[in-house]
Amino acid sequence: MAMRQTPLTCSGHTRPVVDLAFSGVTPYGYFLISACKDGKPMLRQGDTGDWIGTFLGHKGAVWGATLNMDATKAATAAADFTAKVWDAVSGDELITLAHKHIVKSVDFTQDSNYLLTGGQDKLLRIYDLSKPEAEPDVVSGHTSGIKKALWSSDDKQILSADDKTVRLWDRSTMTEVKSLNVAMSVSSMEYVPEGQILVITYGRTIAFHSAETLEQIKSFEAPATINSASLHPAKECLVAGGEDFKLYKYDYNTGEELESYKGHFGPIHCVRFSPDGELYASGSEDGTLRLWQTTVGKTYGLWKCVVPEEENAEAAKARTTLPGTAEEEIVAEEIASENSDTVYSSTPEVKA
Amino acid sequence: MTDPLPVPVPILRLPRGPDISGGRGFSRDSRRNSQHFPELQAARAALRERFLRLLSSARGRPARFWLWSGIAVDAEFGAADAEPVAFQVDSLRTPLGVQGAALLRCGDVLAFSIPLE
Repeated sequence: MAMRQTPLTCSGHTRPVVDLAFSGVTPYGYFLISACKDGKPMLRQGDTGDWIGTFLGHKGAVWGATLNMDATKAATAAADFTAKVWDAVSGDELITLAHKHIVKSVDFTQDSNYLLTGGQDKLLRIYDLSKPEAEPDVVSGHTSGIKKALWSSDDKQILSADDKTVRLWDRSTMTEVKSLNVAMSVSSMEYVPEGQILVITYGRTIAFHSAETLEQIKSFEAPATINSASLHPAKECLVAGGEDFKLYKYDYNTGEELESYKGHFGPIHCVRFSPDGELYASGSEDGTLRLWQTTVGKTYGLWKCVVPEEENAEAAKARTTLPGTAEEEIVAEEIASENSDTVYSSTPEVKA
Repeated sequence: MTDPLPVPVPILRLPRGPDISGGRGFSRDSRRNSQHFPELQAARAALRERFLRLLSSARGRPARFWLWSGIAVDAEFGAADAEPVAFQVDSLRTPLGVQGAALLRCGDVLAFSIPLE
């Protein structure tokens, strides 16, 4: 039986979601952080999208957010000229790092001891988190505002992107190793450690480069301007989203467009695969995050694959259960109005 | 022959959103939180144990329960359940007479006292 993708919408933000990041897999599952122009980044359970908490403290739009590997720390980059480090278990603000301009990007080293920041002041900064009061190491060279800065090669190198270039730096010498000129404004960058692949998006192009040499491996063209792309951990497929509000899924090897989904009510600003590759998350101008299944119809997280006999029994049960609280009724209406097609009998189970 | 219409993948429920109370979240009750702050969990465990020992020592003692609207009733303390949701009492003295055994809902009880000797 053909199954149609049911995205899970995570609400809560009141302004556009501009960045999102997953943690690694921890004993408590994996987590997701979202950066929002409302200044209140949120932490969610990665496989369900359930809200866990909101990091309160920034006084401006949050442009970048990241989690460390085990999701015990979070870092955020904001328009209030600061980057902040947070305890991701308690939600407490741990460190505030003052900058001279809007901060756009933050990234932890694998051991969580150092934080890399980059922003509109065109400088890369490396903070030793055990000595936050100390002056950071500063790497200069960019001629326009830094949009993204990432650790690479086991934290021995740094990849950074500004408007027109992507640069590779050596961490120990703090000097530029290589530079790549990009035809159009870079909209996003993702580093894939296994295989040392760099995913860059600009215009309608999704490009894959070697993270060590910056040489291009391959590139694909999308039907619309792409703002973000993410490569599946097993490198079988990639997802991308942009200005036409749609999410695209491509076969990494052939470049063939496999699936596309409507659903967001605004341009998509960020997409990321979960660390286990079972789902991907998208953040949009419409203020929502959506979770999408990589394998549509598979039982995972909140998605439940139901076989026909089971489904009839469950559908009958759902119909006879009384609607729950007003909140759940409104939510059920929301599902019906969001999808352009009618909602079928297998509506989500409503708790009595 | 036309293809059958694809069925949307069923879901258990929607993702939970932020607290309506407007709090910042990071529930202290989460498993992750208790592992991360062992002193907090140790303190909570110690307080819980004290409370349970108090309840078990209260059994058989004459108790006074203060309920809503300024009402107080006397009874012999019996037992409490896990949360507790309710207290079981014996010989509950009410305006209508003495109730041999009764359950008082904790939501109705504002306070109760027992003599320590």
